Amino acid sequence: MVLTLFDKAGAGVLKATDTFGDFAVLAGRTFAAIFKRPFDGKNLLFQFQSVGVNSIPVVVLTSLAVSMVFAVQLAFGFKQFQAEGLASQVEGLAIMRELAPVITGLMLSGRIGSAMAAELGTMQVTEQIDALECLATDPIHYLFVPRLLASMVMVPILTVVSIYVGFWGGYLILVGVEGQSAYVYGNEFYKLLAFRDLRIALYKAFVFGMIIALVGCWKGYRTKGGAEGVGNAPTSSVVTSSLWILISDFFLTKLLLV
Amino acid sequence: MAVIDVVNLSKAFGPKVVLSNVNLQVQEGESLVVLGGSGTGKTVLLRNIMGLLTPDSGHVAVEGKVIAQLSRDELFDVRQSIGMCFQMAALFDSMTVFENVAFGLRRHRRMTEAEVRARVEECLAMVGMKGTDQLKPAELSGGMKRRVGFARAIALKPKILLFDEPTTGLDPVMTDVIGRIILDLKHELGITSITITHDLKSAFEIADRIALIFRGECIACESPADFKVNPHPVIQQFLRGDADGPFLQDPPPPKRKTQEAPS
Ligand SMILES: Nc1ncnc2c1ncn2[C@@H]1O[C@H](COP(=O)(O)OP(=O)(O)O)[C@@H](O)[C@H]1O
Ligand SMILES: [Mg+2]
Repeated sequence: MVLTLFDKAGAGVLKATDTFGDFAVLAGRTFAAIFKRPFDGKNLLFQFQSVGVNSIPVVVLTSLAVSMVFAVQLAFGFKQFQAEGLASQVEGLAIMRELAPVITGLMLSGRIGSAMAAELGTMQVTEQIDALECLATDPIHYLFVPRLLASMVMVPILTVVSIYVGFWGGYLILVGVEGQSAYVYGNEFYKLLAFRDLRIALYKAFVFGMIIALVGCWKGYRTKGGAEGVGNAPTSSVVTSSLWILISDFFLTKLLLV
Repeated sequence: MAVIDVVNLSKAFGPKVVLSNVNLQVQEGESLVVLGGSGTGKTVLLRNIMGLLTPDSGHVAVEGKVIAQLSRDELFDVRQSIGMCFQMAALFDSMTVFENVAFGLRRHRRMTEAEVRARVEECLAMVGMKGTDQLKPAELSGGMKRRVGFARAIALKPKILLFDEPTTGLDPVMTDVIGRIILDLKHELGITSITITHDLKSAFEIADRIALIFRGECIACESPADFKVNPHPVIQQFLRGDADGPFLQDPPPPKRKTQEAPS
């Protein structure tokens, strides 16, 4: 009884170590392949397009919705002890430091991370990845690197977009509905923020971009077992990368804020 | 020295032994045909030769280089001289036919766009697929996909070609067309090749030597004439295409008496 328990725990630990090791090796190989020849500019541009440009609507809409509902909550909360003026300051703080990078990261892990897993998964089960190998092309270099670069660049840029949209989402509620002065809102929004906060937000977004692309590509690359495997890859990629985004968000915040 | 040298190759997946102690040599310019029932590990053999799988024991040497011992860069160099035609063609489905065939050229050769175009046209013409270059793989039939796969495999002018069941699932006419293409490639380009097939007719046309894989072992590897008269019961059963005999592990369902036509 106790032995089987140990057995199970041991097997679980071994499997987790194995999985993590596999991920780490592939991630290392991806970083090592970034500067390898030949450079495929067309492919990279295409990834910038599909990761970045095509994600703008999703990021704009979710940032707008989240910043608006947050403003409603803040206005309501601060009204209870007659401190409505604080709402815009806290709104700015929350959006810049947490909401924009995390919302962007989570939405993109759903939008692009899952797409990467599905695409690479299909390529894996239809032997297209083997075909790449046979044409003397490293799939890590050809498939992983452009996706990684695109999301390391695009997630921070989209985070900036999200902050900007968040400003206007708060404006709509606090100025438009609650009737605060537009001039005061414009000043107060940035009052508690320093340049450092933008930098931290961008660091976070950069790490989230890395997580999204690497986990998505890894889950796709390791797809096994036909249609069912291809179906599982995106789901599992979204769950894993969302989890790692939230966990790393905690540690990045802890580390970078002190 | 043999161009492809498979020495004591064994490969198992978990408890399932797929290949055990397979030995095969292919000389320069020779065309070897590998026969064998479905699921006997023919594809696994080719994947070991390409370095997509690592042997459990034994080794595969291509032009004297042991595949499993090469670094990745060296392996890619060797792979540039091998063209692989997959069973299901494995075309890149996000690219057009043209981009598929041009893929290796664009990545490994310093060619101008005009030279790439010329070479792609040449390869497509060789497999009888001229004028399809702007189509996507989804718009092609099975036989056309295979032929585009051939064109992609020969684009880099490899010295070795591996065909994995190039005719399975095609009608007899298309089977003959594919057989002729393989023969043309062999005579025009002097390519060393390994072809896996179930189609005995084209096997005897293409082959310089025929090998038969049975239960993970290579039980014959000889010229077509010798192969035909080999007394081994498995070979004779395979040639007859009969369900009764030692070939199957489980006994086949009994043969029904054909009904006599009512007079
Ligand atoms: N990657 C793999 N993992 C597990 N088993 C495999 C794998 N590849 C092939 N096999 C097994 O090896 C056997 C031979 O497969 P294969 O070489 O594809 O047969 P065929 O001779 O029809 O091409 C099959 O029974 C298959 O189950
Ligand atoms: Mg096969």
